[in-house]
Amino acid sequence: MTAEVTAVTQAPPLLEVADVDVVLGRGWRANHVLSGVNLKVWPGEIVGLVGETGSGKTTLARTVVGLARARGGRVLFGGREISRLRGTARRRERRAGHIQLVFQDPLRSLDPDLTVGDIVGEGLKIRGGLSAADLQARVASALDRVGLPAAIQHRQPGQISGGQRQRVSIARALATEPKLLLCDEPVSALDASNRNYILRLLAQLRDSLRLPIVIISHDLSSLAGIADRVVVLYRGRIVEDGPVAEVFTRPRHPYTALLMASAPSVKHDRELSVHQLRRTTADPASPSAAGACVFAARCPFAVAACAVQPQLEPVTDDTASRRSAACHRHQEWPALARQRQAVAARR
Amino acid sequence: MPGNPPLDQVLGIEDLHVTVHDGAAAALRGISLAVYSGEIVGLVGESGSGKTLTCRAALGELPPGVRADRGKVTFAGEDVTSLSRRGWERLHGSHIGAVFQDPASYLNPNLTVGSQVTEVLRVKRGLSRKQAHAKAVELLTAVGLYQAGRVFHQIPAELSGGMLQRVMIAIAISCDPELLIADEATTALDVTIQAEIIELIKDLRDQRGLAVLFVSHDLAVIRELCDRVVVFYAGEIVEAGPVEEIIERPRHPYTQALLRVASVGDFQRRELEVIPGQPPHVGARITGCRFAERCPAATAACTAGDIALTRLGAAHEARCVRVNDPALAAASAAVTAQAAAAADPELARR
Repeated sequence: MTAEVTAVTQAPPLLEVADVDVVLGRGWRANHVLSGVNLKVWPGEIVGLVGETGSGKTTLARTVVGLARARGGRVLFGGREISRLRGTARRRERRAGHIQLVFQDPLRSLDPDLTVGDIVGEGLKIRGGLSAADLQARVASALDRVGLPAAIQHRQPGQISGGQRQRVSIARALATEPKLLLCDEPVSALDASNRNYILRLLAQLRDSLRLPIVIISHDLSSLAGIADRVVVLYRGRIVEDGPVAEVFTRPRHPYTALLMASAPSVKHDRELSVHQLRRTTADPASPSAAGACVFAARCPFAVAACAVQPQLEPVTDDTASRRSAACHRHQEWPALARQRQAVAARR
Repeated sequence: MPGNPPLDQVLGIEDLHVTVHDGAAAALRGISLAVYSGEIVGLVGESGSGKTLTCRAALGELPPGVRADRGKVTFAGEDVTSLSRRGWERLHGSHIGAVFQDPASYLNPNLTVGSQVTEVLRVKRGLSRKQAHAKAVELLTAVGLYQAGRVFHQIPAELSGGMLQRVMIAIAISCDPELLIADEATTALDVTIQAEIIELIKDLRDQRGLAVLFVSHDLAVIRELCDRVVVFYAGEIVEAGPVEEIIERPRHPYTQALLRVASVGDFQRRELEVIPGQPPHVGARITGCRFAERCPAATAACTAGDIALTRLGAAHEARCVRVNDPALAAASAAVTAQAAAAADPELARR
């Protein structure tokens, strides 16, 4: 596993997001959605992007495909900068369909008046250069890849089930034969069986096409099943990045640990309970200065040093793998957490 | 509540049959369940299994064209099956509170949160403007909203999804109802917020003796919150019992399948399983077990005739002809063993 990862990481990344800042709104409304985000995606890997609502996961995906504009930093795809493309060059890049985004809510992102066949073939039609028969064949093959019968192309999104709709969204993205697939919460609207079906499908696509996939999700345990690497976002900053097995066995940022402890489970065998990771009124006040660590206000382990935002730095431990975390106290907090009370103080 | 026997039955549903499309198709076939005070009962099943319809029947809010043909719904011992509109209005809010999946669509986006909480208090309880304000702030604080006095004056668009769900819960419990119906109330929330809402509902149960009917498609959420669980499949109850027992010794093949696909939450790389096939359409005419088509353990006996619920323990029952078959019990044990092996060895021994 480690050898594999090193081999992969020596190759140039397919996607490189470098120091990207995204600000939405201007003046007093300006909202820093992403600050100094770095993300690399190598061919053939599945990267899980985790974080809560408002953490900037979706904005990061939108920035990569050019739907949101980065104020600072660069987005490189295959070594070429795509974030500064304008006019014809930008249009050409987009129509090539190298990067495809699968939107969050399949019911709202699919045109209800079009048939499934129209939806899947729309991108190809806009790009042009295909005969009607070729287009038809590409649509059928994209549907086949996601396990849908060709007959479904005459239906409309409202006439098929939620799980099938999500597969149509993925088929639409696959039709242009992308080199990178971004999926925004592909499973959050589905029940457990359909969720596993979609995740398995994504894993198969990665294996059969060597297609790198970025999966945005707030459900950590489903990512554990298929992702190679996880990136944890909190309030527009990456707080932890590393191979999935290691991040989930030994989280180095207290926020990652909180996410893990909060995930519902059919078993009750968590190493740390949520109460050991949540701030209580008994904890000393955390630094609230302007440049303080983004997580300080919720962190039970914040100290004076946390008044300065920590950078995402490599965490060196016993393993040789590449892991990084943005926490001043990444060495100390796990021991401190274990000393805290595991059950809630009754009000 | 394990240990002490439940006292008062708050909600009772007996042999409820509901049809859709003006009687053309049966959507619920003989649902019977009860919720006692101080107890959280979970309804679990795939989309379209009848969980939400059961909730709506319990709220007296069946959509047009949907009728309860047979059976009885009781609230605190009183038959409310054919209650008038006015009668239901008296029950809503004061005795039954409800929370749904998408809080933003149930709140008026133009009114402040405070005015929507006080409206209920003033209409249902007849409080004065001042009393209602004080009570509303108290309720918003009770559901864990920070700076409730400020939230009072904010409009829904200024609050996050988790905060809005707390506001909905505050409204639902504002008149001290005996029953809270939560339909996928945590599904749209972040995991950290979901964990907080689950704790809030448990606190309300403990402090007010609230009875809760909680609907979710996620067995893991049910496990975290509920005392008892009722498993729905295609409009029927296929298994019901105490949550620990159902999770550790599921007896119906459908429950076993649900458990295999649930978030086990152990963060290990594992084979993601799916339940093959699709549930039958609403109104599909099936003889015998409705799950037989997708069941790995199905035999000829499964489709021979109607199957009754088999009592398996004090409160545990399952609808399966092979429920006492040793081969099926072995399959159930495999699920448990798999779960135990992945769990902490110390826990498995206990």
